[in-house]
Amino acid sequence: MSAISLLNPKAEVARAAQALAVNISAAKGIQDVMKSNLGPKGTVKMLVSGAGDIKITKDGNVLLHEMQIQHPTASLIARASTAQDDMTGDGTTSTVLVIGELLKQADIYVAEGLHPRVLTEGFDKARLKTLEILDNMKIPIEINKDSLLDVARTSLRTKVHAELADVLSGICVDAILTIRKDEKPIDLHMVELMEMQHKTATDTQLVKGLVLDHGSRHPDMPKRVTNAYILTCNISMEYEKSEVNSGFFYKTADEREKLVKAERAFIEERVIKVIELKKKLCDGTDKTFVVINQKGIDPMSLDMFAKEGIIALRRAKRRNMERLALACGGIAMNHLNDLQESHLGHAGLVYEHVLGENKFTFVEECKIPQSVTILMKAPNKHTLAQIKDAVRDGLRAINNAIEDKAVIPGAGAFEVTAYKELMKYKETVKGKPRLGIAAYAEALLVIPKVLATNSGFDAQDTIVKLQEESGLNPEPVGLDLTSGEAINPKDFGIYDNYVVKKQIINSCSIIASNLLLVDEIMRAGLSSLKG
Amino acid sequence: MGTREIVSLQFGHYSNFIGTHWWNIQETGFGYNGTESSEIDHDVLFREGLTVNGQVTYTPRLLLVDLKGSLGTLSEQGNLYEPLVDPSTADTNWNNKVEVYTSTTEIKNQFQEELYKTKNPREIFKKSFDFDNNVKVWSDFLYSRFHPRTTNIVSEYSHKQSSCFEAFAQGTELWRTQKFLETFSDKIRNYVEECDSFQGFHITLDATDGFSGLSSSCIQYIEEEYEKKPILAFPVIPSHYSDDKGIMSEPHFPNSFRVMNLAFCFDALNEHSSVFVPLCTGSDGWIQPRTKIEFNHVTYDHKLYYHSSAILAAALDTFSLRYRMKTHSYTLKDLCADFTTNSRKVVAASVCLPFSINEDSDFISCLDKWEGPLTKSITPNCSIGTDKLLQMFTLRGIPETRLKNQLSENKAQRHMPAFHCNSINEMLNFYLSCNYFYTLSSVTNVAKGVSVRTPFPHFFDDSVGANGNICATPRKKDLEDIPILAGLHSGSCIGDMIESLHSETKKIKKLDVGQFSKTGIEMQEISDCFDRLLDLTECYEDNYL
Ligand SMILES: Nc1ncnc2c1ncn2[C@@H]1O[C@H](COP(=O)(O)OP(=O)(O)OP(=O)(O)O)[C@@H](O)[C@H]1O
Ligand SMILES: [Mg+2]
Repeated sequence: MSAISLLNPKAEVARAAQALAVNISAAKGIQDVMKSNLGPKGTVKMLVSGAGDIKITKDGNVLLHEMQIQHPTASLIARASTAQDDMTGDGTTSTVLVIGELLKQADIYVAEGLHPRVLTEGFDKARLKTLEILDNMKIPIEINKDSLLDVARTSLRTKVHAELADVLSGICVDAILTIRKDEKPIDLHMVELMEMQHKTATDTQLVKGLVLDHGSRHPDMPKRVTNAYILTCNISMEYEKSEVNSGFFYKTADEREKLVKAERAFIEERVIKVIELKKKLCDGTDKTFVVINQKGIDPMSLDMFAKEGIIALRRAKRRNMERLALACGGIAMNHLNDLQESHLGHAGLVYEHVLGENKFTFVEECKIPQSVTILMKAPNKHTLAQIKDAVRDGLRAINNAIEDKAVIPGAGAFEVTAYKELMKYKETVKGKPRLGIAAYAEALLVIPKVLATNSGFDAQDTIVKLQEESGLNPEPVGLDLTSGEAINPKDFGIYDNYVVKKQIINSCSIIASNLLLVDEIMRAGLSSLKG
Repeated sequence: MGTREIVSLQFGHYSNFIGTHWWNIQETGFGYNGTESSEIDHDVLFREGLTVNGQVTYTPRLLLVDLKGSLGTLSEQGNLYEPLVDPSTADTNWNNKVEVYTSTTEIKNQFQEELYKTKNPREIFKKSFDFDNNVKVWSDFLYSRFHPRTTNIVSEYSHKQSSCFEAFAQGTELWRTQKFLETFSDKIRNYVEECDSFQGFHITLDATDGFSGLSSSCIQYIEEEYEKKPILAFPVIPSHYSDDKGIMSEPHFPNSFRVMNLAFCFDALNEHSSVFVPLCTGSDGWIQPRTKIEFNHVTYDHKLYYHSSAILAAALDTFSLRYRMKTHSYTLKDLCADFTTNSRKVVAASVCLPFSINEDSDFISCLDKWEGPLTKSITPNCSIGTDKLLQMFTLRGIPETRLKNQLSENKAQRHMPAFHCNSINEMLNFYLSCNYFYTLSSVTNVAKGVSVRTPFPHFFDDSVGANGNICATPRKKDLEDIPILAGLHSGSCIGDMIESLHSETKKIKKLDVGQFSKTGIEMQEISDCFDRLLDLTECYEDNYL
């Protein structure tokens, strides 16, 4: 992408005096590229490589990194956006916009001779006040399907069109509620994301169990069983020459042959142990047996299993060992001494699905699955990638809401309220730092302004309209992107994550302050790699 | 026992140059007319696949990594399994505006253009293209087609700003991202899962830039995840850097980073790989490759990666044959066991390309007249010598019919002790036993030579005849397969090599070490690593063999 070449990479050598101007122009440059991303009416970016590979994104952070930033200012902003993404999974576009706007506001004052340090002092006061305002705007939620759906939908509709967003929201909420146990924190890794290049995006589904990206490697193994015991293990069932028996320089063929026999017998014993348990538990009943192994299983062992009607899968994902135990019950075994029924899990249905050279094994109908799979479908790679990004965002948003036990009204409502409150607060502060507070308040308004512009409305008109309404109304006032009118976001279920806003407030004022105090930024920029 | 599969990994641009030649050599050498049955089991490195439309594919069992912008006209997912999606009709799942950012479209060179259009790719062999002037990135001369999972691009660093991915720690940090920890590791698993009799890994890696760290982390991961599976690693050093001024110099920033990357890389490989073979076509690989290694009948330009990587690829394809044959039961694991006595893990490689045998000569007379060592070392700072070695040679391209003159025409031959040898293998072994001292050697031989069909560089001189033998009259036809000899060696020379790297690290300025540390490695760790190099030399001391 070339947009960023607006930024002059020679900025490194800029003197401190010029550096502020450079920082401001750099931040503006990035802001310009990212602006059009914001909100459900923003623009999606399609990046096409020289060889024709396609990548689709609407995520601020992804875009920022596709731009290959060289400029130290820009890369500092990029790092803030990455931090935002790592911590909360959302709000990266907003972060960049607010930082840019803080610098623009600061520019005006600095041009009039105000020392940047005075401004940053004001920023910090404003930051603390804004956190307070944010806390007051929290809307506590019950953790249930409806409340979580609102949050998921708000987030996902900024990434994919409404129809798909609604499908994905339902799936994400369902996934999380299935694995949630009491008040315990949720481990998002227990939602496996599996891609299947097949059908269309809206065919994406939740499987309350596990989908593995491999199948049996023996022609005679059953392709579908019901009422199955599941043995999850991490035990080699393939013959492998031992170290002692390797090498040709120092051993005769005879010696080697003898060792091979002994070593093979050792592997066979393991397989026989499993088969014995299977016989004891399943023979004469309608029960079946499935082995899912993290280690290898060689053709000879597969053959022994196949003869017993056992499905055996090899080289399962390490993380699936844990997931399987949570989905089906049982324990992931590291040895077979004393193998018993209580070590096994259970699934009502296990079957294989083949797509070209790819095989998938579905382990379903688990009693109380504490690990589930979102099976993402799409006709091509770039859509799969896009859906995966969206699903991740959705899961994060839901998880944030659960941890926060609260949400914040979206659609610019928070920013409009914060502006109003900050301007009141400003009056209580003495001296020049109050200018910093005013600048900060003004900068927050960039969010509703850009939301308006991206929907085809005039930024100024919109802000005036929202502020008037907010003056009369104690309820939060946001922007309806279809009509351009003021609405209460609660009525439309438009909610953002509390933690996302909190992180934006904190990081923006800190980064903007760093950029204003140029000496520090010069050092930050230069410490990157080379001196 | 069926095929014993190997998974190949390539990390970095120069590694991918080598890899590209290596896959090309194999594929252009496939016998397609059905009459010749190969001695080589190609399924060891290749896999059969199936597209959703039921089309059978045959692709390298390979994952490669390179930086953004390094692919040229090659698309990341390739078009073997499905056609590329047209951006103008691509589904965006978005009902509002879409902005398209298109990088300048890369234009296919003439070779790629013709390969793309032709129905029979083998027609390409008869043509010649100006690769020397047109190859910019490895995909420019790629003949093979890849599986969609093969190509992995690092989007954090750009190929064109070559100076940005230059430190070991950047690579280890990169490994910790989801792209590698999850996606890439999963792809390894997908390959291994398919294999019925998986024998281990081949890993070619750029050892002087950030890829040293990325690959080291990957190797550590593989060691943990696939315990007992051998890892044969080839740390490679490019044949040339653009900052080479042709004068001897002390290591100083930024090229001192190369030395430190190498030190960390060797340290990690010694810890986590099974055996590793450093490769370079320059004799002094640490800061600068310097003097290029000369081969008889080859005129190559070491500034062209396209040339130098071809030599290394031909060597790799040859010395790896021992565990890729249909008839042998020898495996990677055996090779590793054979070479790792006394916890030695580093092995040197050598090659003779072409293995020059006169058109009218027998193998016996060829050896009889041979002067000097059979092969040249392609491991930097390592002169292999003829003393106290453990070595494996692979000779290809000399059929048994060339062994000796059976009829009594040549009296002189009959009096040579070697005349009693009844096979190429036996005779070469005999030759080695006479010319090396206190040395354990083994020989593998294959009748067919190495394929040097287009797109292999046309850098052989005219005296190399169409059959690859040395002829009195200049060659008229294009070369196809030529004889080659390559070897793997362990001995005290390895200790000298590591010693020389260690002494290079001692010359690095404090300031530069400080810079290196800033990329994410503690100062203490750096000096510990240098010290361990020195310890390492001990197990190569003579008296141990
Ligand atoms: N239906 C809606 N109507 C109005 N505003 C909305 C609606 N849905 C979301 N928004 C607002 O859009 C903004 C979020 O936009 P978006 O998700 O594109 O950017 P981001 O969260 O800042 O960054 P990113 O998601 O790229 O990391 C929030 O301010 C949110 O309140
Ligand atoms: Mg968002």
